[in-house]
Amino acid sequence: MNSRTARIDTGVSVSFIASAVIHLAVFLLLVWWGRLFPHNMALQETYYVDVVTLPVAAPQSGGGAQQPGEAAAPPPPAPAPPMAVPAPPKASPAGIAKPVKLATPRETAETESAFAQRMANLERNSEARREEAVLEKLRNRVKAVSAPRAGTPGAAGAEAGSRYADYVKSRLEDALKVTSSYTTKSPEVAVRLTIAADGRLARIKIERSSGDASFELAVRRAIDLASGKFTAPPDGATFENGFVFKPKGITNGPSR
Amino acid sequence: MAIILGAGIVVKLVLLLLLSFSVISWAIILFKFFQVQRAKSESERFMDFFWKSKRFDSIASQVDRFANSPLTVLFNEGYSELKKVVDSDSKSDGSALSTDLGGVENVSRALRRATNSEITRLEKYLTFLATTGSTSPFIGLFGTVWGIMTSFEGIGKTGSASLAVVAPGIAEALIATAIGLVAAIPAVMAYNHFQHKIRVLINEMDSFSTEFLNIVQRNIAGK
Repeated sequence: MNSRTARIDTGVSVSFIASAVIHLAVFLLLVWWGRLFPHNMALQETYYVDVVTLPVAAPQSGGGAQQPGEAAAPPPPAPAPPMAVPAPPKASPAGIAKPVKLATPRETAETESAFAQRMANLERNSEARREEAVLEKLRNRVKAVSAPRAGTPGAAGAEAGSRYADYVKSRLEDALKVTSSYTTKSPEVAVRLTIAADGRLARIKIERSSGDASFELAVRRAIDLASGKFTAPPDGATFENGFVFKPKGITNGPSR
Repeated sequence: MAIILGAGIVVKLVLLLLLSFSVISWAIILFKFFQVQRAKSESERFMDFFWKSKRFDSIASQVDRFANSPLTVLFNEGYSELKKVVDSDSKSDGSALSTDLGGVENVSRALRRATNSEITRLEKYLTFLATTGSTSPFIGLFGTVWGIMTSFEGIGKTGSASLAVVAPGIAEALIATAIGLVAAIPAVMAYNHFQHKIRVLINEMDSFSTEFLNIVQRNIAGK
């Protein structure tokens, strides 16, 4: 009888070890399987949105209206007030987001020194932006090799127009963050927007789309949402520019 | 992987608990599978051997070959009890009738006791399978509910209810239910399977006891 119970116990422990080994094997198999076929459910992808300014196909309306010399004057007054609404933290021109973050919480308790600091920040930002614009120009030139339509007038316009374009872009980003939804993996919608001299949205034209209907709808709603808050384009010209809407994968959600 | 690592502490604990349930229940399933399988095959061989042999003491000398069968336990118990009865019978040399009846009764009682202990041995650990089968879906559900609660909290904080915010939290939460079901389904299936197998073995033990008693009674009566 004693030997029997002893045998039972060894049997239990052996099968316990076997079971643990099986579980480990299944787990490793799943991990291996997941590495072999990474599931395209993309759980970690939030619908962070980057709006890319299109090189203007017909630059005469958007870029041509402004001369490089005027570039310095319009920017500081125009974009600064609407920036009180927080810009997306990951927006590609980090310069816009930073001063906003500083400004919004203590808008009321703003002292003279803080204001001066803010101005300094803005100035630094415009410096950075100018650098970026130069880079942009270079990029456009590289593109121009393959697509000759973006000529020098477009490039010159990009420097001046990008100020307002960045502003519109960040508005659109904020709006798209609210409305975003898509069903295909990496949708992309390119839209040409025309903004009249009084800041009203004059024309929306979808230039191309990856065919994701729900993302298209989200983009339309985002434009609707954003267009209520546009300020007028600088020096009374109409503004026309292309925007590419596409989601960009970022870390998993709630940490934001 | 990221789903599990990203989950909250409560969900992680639930998953750990379910994992240990699964490991233990599979250990029991494996153990019971071999135990019942051996008991069944050795019982069959023992019954063949039993019917071929003419004498109990020749069976008793060979019985160790079938140590995994519950029938051999019955046989051993019944045989030793029978031996005691016969010994005391030959010693006291009393009237044949009373000792005959008493002897058969004694052997019958010994067999019943052995049957009970064998049933207990076969059914040992099976309750854990039943417990796993019935509770682990609920444990998983608890994890899911908790995960969804926290993900809703996250929604409340971010203020955005887009699918992007809601979906990962819910997927994270649902995995607890999935693992609960993964643990429960084999446990329930194995529990039913083993219940059936053990019932068959119990029937075999009962019929063996009857046969054994018949033989004993025939032989004592024929003495």
